[in-house]
Amino acid sequence: MPDSRPLEATLRVSNVTKRFGEFTAVENLSFEVRAGRVFGFLGPNGAGKTTTIRMIVGITAPDAGEIELFGQTMSHGMQNRIGYLPEERGLYKKMKVVDQLRYFAELKGVERKVADDRIDHWLERMELADWKTKKTTDLSKGMQQKIQFISTVLHEPDLLILDEPFSGLDPINVEFLIDVISEFKTQEKTIIFSTHLMETAEKLCNDILLINKAQKVVGGSLREVKESYGTNLIAFRGAGAEKVLADKALIEKVVSHADEQELHLANGINPQLLLQKLMGSGAEITKFEITEPSLNDIFIERVKNA
Amino acid sequence: MRKFLAVVRHEFKKIVLKWSFLIGTLLFPVLAGVLAMIPLIIFSLRGEPTKIAVADPTGNIFTRLEANLSAERLMEKARQAASEQFKDFSKSQEEAMKNDAAMFMENIVLIPYDTSGKTVDQIRGDLLAKIKADEADAYLMVPRSPDQPFEFRSRKGGDFITNDTFTDALNAAVRSQRLADANISEKRLEELSAKVKIDAKGIDETGAERDTAGTFIAAFAIGLMIYVTLAIYGQVIMGAVVEEKETRIAEILFSSARPFELMLGKLVGVGLAGLTQLSIWLTSAVVILGIAVSQTDVGPVLGMVPKITPFMLGLFLIFFLLGFFIYASIFALIGSMVTSMQEGSQFAFPPILIMLAGFYFCFAVVRDPNSTLSVLVSMAPFLAPITMPVRILAEMPPLWQIALAIVVNTITIAGLVWVTARVYRVGMLMYGKRATIPEVWKWIRHA
Repeated sequence: MPDSRPLEATLRVSNVTKRFGEFTAVENLSFEVRAGRVFGFLGPNGAGKTTTIRMIVGITAPDAGEIELFGQTMSHGMQNRIGYLPEERGLYKKMKVVDQLRYFAELKGVERKVADDRIDHWLERMELADWKTKKTTDLSKGMQQKIQFISTVLHEPDLLILDEPFSGLDPINVEFLIDVISEFKTQEKTIIFSTHLMETAEKLCNDILLINKAQKVVGGSLREVKESYGTNLIAFRGAGAEKVLADKALIEKVVSHADEQELHLANGINPQLLLQKLMGSGAEITKFEITEPSLNDIFIERVKNA
Repeated sequence: MRKFLAVVRHEFKKIVLKWSFLIGTLLFPVLAGVLAMIPLIIFSLRGEPTKIAVADPTGNIFTRLEANLSAERLMEKARQAASEQFKDFSKSQEEAMKNDAAMFMENIVLIPYDTSGKTVDQIRGDLLAKIKADEADAYLMVPRSPDQPFEFRSRKGGDFITNDTFTDALNAAVRSQRLADANISEKRLEELSAKVKIDAKGIDETGAERDTAGTFIAAFAIGLMIYVTLAIYGQVIMGAVVEEKETRIAEILFSSARPFELMLGKLVGVGLAGLTQLSIWLTSAVVILGIAVSQTDVGPVLGMVPKITPFMLGLFLIFFLLGFFIYASIFALIGSMVTSMQEGSQFAFPPILIMLAGFYFCFAVVRDPNSTLSVLVSMAPFLAPITMPVRILAEMPPLWQIALAIVVNTITIAGLVWVTARVYRVGMLMYGKRATIPEVWKWIRHA
């Protein structure tokens, strides 16, 4: 398909704003998502993630700005190419698994026969084949989550949007979901994945966008983002360095962990200079490592300072 | 369009393939039949015969009273009463009447009491003693002069059928005695005081005869059936909307199809389920009546049912659908405002009240189908779907009034669906708290 070529943006959000009365949920937001990459959409609760996603999937329309999907302005017709797993999700309580899945697939424009084949395939794969004709109320919570995930992919979407997909999942299901995500990635599909769990995002995402209070904070490939923050952190272990570490001209902040310390360099101080000073002071150094900030650090710093 | 049809099929199957639908569909006719039968059964249950001790110092009343309570006399009376209602009876009706008469006769046993040489107080004491000893259930003291009151005391005060029969027989006995005393022939008097016979029948504007009692019952039945179906399926719609909101399925649905498609598909799917149930009820009614006609002799009763033409049936269908879409969209609107079914039930009260008002107006419409009130309520929005079919059954109104009712209510539906679609779109994604009226008003204006 021409629209799934790598590097060409699958999704382009340009200057999008959404207001609810006096409250601005999303303000002048712009970003691009490329095919074949996992895009982490990050931000604290209430930052505007779900509102943005709802605009992308066509549930609501932006007040200003434009959303382009596969090179065209977003319209209802394109909903069939998106698979959306909302954060708050559910199933019909008293309906058979197969009936619900068929209904959700039909709503995405899949023919009944095709849907039936795919349902069998996915139930088999998720080890739920025996539950095909059971009702939701007979299923465990983990099983229900698998069914919800199946309903998101039955129509083989080109863009997969997962809003907090791991919340409440047991570790086995988490592994499973990660497998499927990487499979989609190799098929050159685009995955947007929203979370406030930075560790998961760090493991899975190629690109990230961090938003806070309706606005973009930082975005780009994970590598670029980390590098732009990455030169002022030192993991340090050693004895007799108290005097140097207390020098505010060199070190802005010291965070003590179990068996080492995290040193935040003051502005304009490079690691080499600090190392020289430490050696000069006669301290006994057992570890001195320039570390990348974790996504968590970046998140906390940017959200707190906002 | 394909998505719309998928929604319709989904909603239809969700209702029809449930046990509750099957049971409700089968149970309603059975229940209606049983409810109609219960009073008949209860009143046909025979009580113990009532023993009445009669103290008759005149010696004239007792024999006449006994004669009046004989089976032949009672049956004769019943026949007279019935002939004022029906023109002629079938064999089976006559048979039934004979049974009834025999039953009443057996139900009253008269015990003579010899009064010779006793004072009134003595007699009363003796009679009370008989009741105490369970030899009698009641006593009657005939006064020496027929102008004085008859003293009747009974321990079975509530058995009004027996009491009525007895009072009638006593009246007749006393009257016969007075006539005899005045030397007037009883037969001659009956001839002179025979009641005027009124042959009363309703007619339509062409002068064709119709039975008013039958029309009343049929109109009531159709009004009730439409009201019940609208109320039930309105609640079903609300339940379906609330479920999708409560379980957050709405979010998935809205990311797959247009909210308007989803809402309309829901209305149509549930509406079709309602129509299915109604047609099963109607078919079973026709079948049951058919069996009743072939097995028993209820011809005269069936003759009371007003004639329903295919044109009228078509109109009933149209008005049922108008009513369905009006109330279904109101219930859908309520469903998308609230957060749970319990909350929804509180808000369901106003539309139910309007429906009930429509049902009550049916009585006014049946009584006088062409009064100003009847004409107005049979065309009014919200009310016409219930009242117009009743009016059509009572007397076919001018076609322009039917057309106007359809137009007015179609416009109402268009407005309601428009409003509901706006509330639905926003309300379905608002979790956690019930929407207030000002909020909903804002959604309608800005959505």
